[in-house]
Amino acid sequence: MTGKRALTGGNSDGVVPDDGQRDVALAVNRLVRRYSSDVAVGPLSFSIRHGEFFSLLGPSGCGKSTTLRCIAGFESVDSGEIVLGGRNIEQVPPHKRGIGLVFQSYTLFPHLSVFDNVAFGLKLQKVPRADIAVRVAKALELVALGEFVARMPSQLSGGQQQRVALARSLVMEPPLLLLDEPMSSLDLKLRTQMREELRALQRRLNMTTIFVTHDQTEALALSDRIAVLSQGKIEQIGTPEEIYLRPASRFVAQFIGNSNLVSGQAERAGDTLIEIVSESGLRLAAKAGTLRPGPLTALIRPERIRLTAGEAAPECRRNSFPAEIRSRTYLGEDAHFQLLVDGREPMLATRKMTDDFAPSPGQPLMAYVDPADVYILPA
Amino acid sequence: MSTSSPRKLPSWLWLVAPYLALLVVFLALPLANVLVLSFHRYSPVSIWEPTLTVENYGQIFTPYLSAITLRTFRIGLITTGLCVLLGYPVAYYLARCSKRAMTIGMFIILLPLMVSAVVGSFGWIVILGRSGLANNALAALGLSARIDILYSESAVVLALVHFLLPLMVLPLTASIEKISVRMEEAATVLGAGPVTMFRLVIVPLSRAGLISGVLLCFSIAISVVVISALLGGRRGRLIGNEIYDQVITAANWPFASSLAIVLVLSIIIAMSLALTLGRRKVA
Repeated sequence: MTGKRALTGGNSDGVVPDDGQRDVALAVNRLVRRYSSDVAVGPLSFSIRHGEFFSLLGPSGCGKSTTLRCIAGFESVDSGEIVLGGRNIEQVPPHKRGIGLVFQSYTLFPHLSVFDNVAFGLKLQKVPRADIAVRVAKALELVALGEFVARMPSQLSGGQQQRVALARSLVMEPPLLLLDEPMSSLDLKLRTQMREELRALQRRLNMTTIFVTHDQTEALALSDRIAVLSQGKIEQIGTPEEIYLRPASRFVAQFIGNSNLVSGQAERAGDTLIEIVSESGLRLAAKAGTLRPGPLTALIRPERIRLTAGEAAPECRRNSFPAEIRSRTYLGEDAHFQLLVDGREPMLATRKMTDDFAPSPGQPLMAYVDPADVYILPA
Repeated sequence: MSTSSPRKLPSWLWLVAPYLALLVVFLALPLANVLVLSFHRYSPVSIWEPTLTVENYGQIFTPYLSAITLRTFRIGLITTGLCVLLGYPVAYYLARCSKRAMTIGMFIILLPLMVSAVVGSFGWIVILGRSGLANNALAALGLSARIDILYSESAVVLALVHFLLPLMVLPLTASIEKISVRMEEAATVLGAGPVTMFRLVIVPLSRAGLISGVLLCFSIAISVVVISALLGGRRGRLIGNEIYDQVITAANWPFASSLAIVLVLSIIIAMSLALTLGRRKVA
C-alpha cells in the first residue's frame, strides 16, 4: 500500500497525502500553536493509523503536551487542522470530542467510588443503569481491578489509581486514547510492569493511542511509531528501530539512548569505505554509502564499541584502537566505561562485566568499531 | 496530650491558653450570665428579680415575635443562598485566574469589609432612598418605575449580601484553588460540559469551603443589628434589633437574654447540622 509508506515517512512539513486516508484515525496537518512572538509549537504534521500506538517523545517544553492538549481541545489552535475519523474537530468543544485522556497526575474524582469514577462518562451519556454496570465491570476487569469496584480512590495505590483512570477512559470506547505521561508518577518497578500491561491491553483492544512521554525507554518499548520533538518541531517520525539506529539529526541521536558523536572530515578510503578524520585526529572508517567527502558527524552507539582486555592486540583491522578507561560506572546488568580512544577521543562504551572482563580505570584496552556500526548523520 | 508528669501542664495548653482565657472571661462567663438571666423574671424596678421562670421563652411565641424570628431566619437563608449563587462563580474565577488578577480581585472582594456597616448602610440609603441615586437615575432616563425597597426585607438582604459576600468568596476560593485543573479536564473529556463539570466536580470538591462560607454568612446574617436597624425599618426588623431595644429601651434584660440564647442556639444547631452534613460521605 503506497499510503503506508507516505505515513511512516512523515516529516514536519509534509501534508498527508489523500491515498491512505481510509486507514487514518487521526491526522494533524500543519498545526501551529503560538504562545508569544518567539515561542510556538509547530507547524506539526503527522497522522496515525487505526490501532496504532504513537508516541510523542521529547524533553520538557518541546511541545508534546501542547500538541496533545490541542488534540484534546484544551488548547486552541492558531492554524492548521486536526482531523479525527475524517472530521475536522477544531470547532468541536473538548467535552464533545469523545477522546479518552489519562493524565500524569492522579485525577480520579476523590469523592466518587471506583465504580462511580468509571461510570462517570456513561452516566453523562444517559446509558441505561444495567448497561453501565456491565460495561464498568468489563472495563475494570481489563485493568485487573474487578474486585476494587467499591473502593474510594484514596484506598488505592498510585498504580491502581492510574489503572482505574485508564478504565475510566476505555469504558467510553473512544476513537482515540491520549496518554499524557501516565506512568511518570509511579516508581520504576511498577512503571515497567504497567508498561507491559498497557502494551498488551492496547494490542488487545486495537486502541488508537497517542502517548506523550519524555522517557525514551517507554517510548521505544511501547510504540509502533515515535515522533521525536524538539523546540516545537518534529525532528523525526519513525519506528523505534529507525529512531534508534538511524536518527535523522544530532538531536535525535543524543536524545535517544547514549551516543558518541564524532565530527570531522570524510576522506575516501577505498571503494566501500570512507575515513573520517575527527577534530582530535582520530581516523575512523565507515561504510561509504552515497556519501561524498566533506564535513560530517558520525554516531557510534556505546554498545557497538567492542572492548577487549590487553594492549597487545594485533593492528590488523581497521577501527581497532588502544583505549584507556578513565572511569567506570557499574550498573548491574552492564557497565559504562568512559574511554579515551587512541589517546585523543573521549568515548562512552557499554559492556557486561564478567569474571574474565572486569577492567578498572587506568587499565589499557583495545576498542573495536565495525565500520558498519559507524552511522553518518544526514546533513 | 502529655501525661509523662502529672505536675507538668500539657504543651498544647500554652498555645491556646491566652485566647482561651480571653474567651472564658469575655465570652463564656457573660454568656453563662445571659443564660442564667434568661430564666429570671423581669422586674420594672430592679430589671430582674430572683424568681426562676421560663415565661421569657414563652413570649417568643407571641405573633409579633415569632414573625420577627421567622423573618430573621428567612433573611438569613435568602442572604446565604444569594451569597452562594453570586459567590461561587466569583470564587471560581479568582481561584483560576492569574496570581496578579487574583491579588487585585481579592482586594476588590474585600473592600466591603473595610467599610463599617454603619457607613455602608448609609450608602445604601443614599442609593435606595425615595429621591436617591437609583430613583434619580431612573427618572433621568425618563422611566416612571421607582425602586421602593428601602425599609424593607429586600433592602436588608441587599446590604447583607453586599457585606457578607467576601466571607463566602474567601473560603470558596481557598477550596477551589486546591482542586487540580486536571480534575476538571478529566470530567470534560468524559463528556461533561462546563455547567455539568461545575456541578459534579467543583461543587462536591469545594464542599469544605462552601460549609465555612455558609456558616459564616448565615450566623452573621441572623445576628445582624446595624444593617437591619438602618435599612429594614419596621418591615425589616430582626431578632438583633429586638434584643437591642429590649436591652437599651425597655431595659427588659431577662427577655433580651432569652432572645439572645435562642439566637446562639440557632447558630450552634446550624453549625452542627452543616458540619454533620459536611462530614458525611467525605469519610
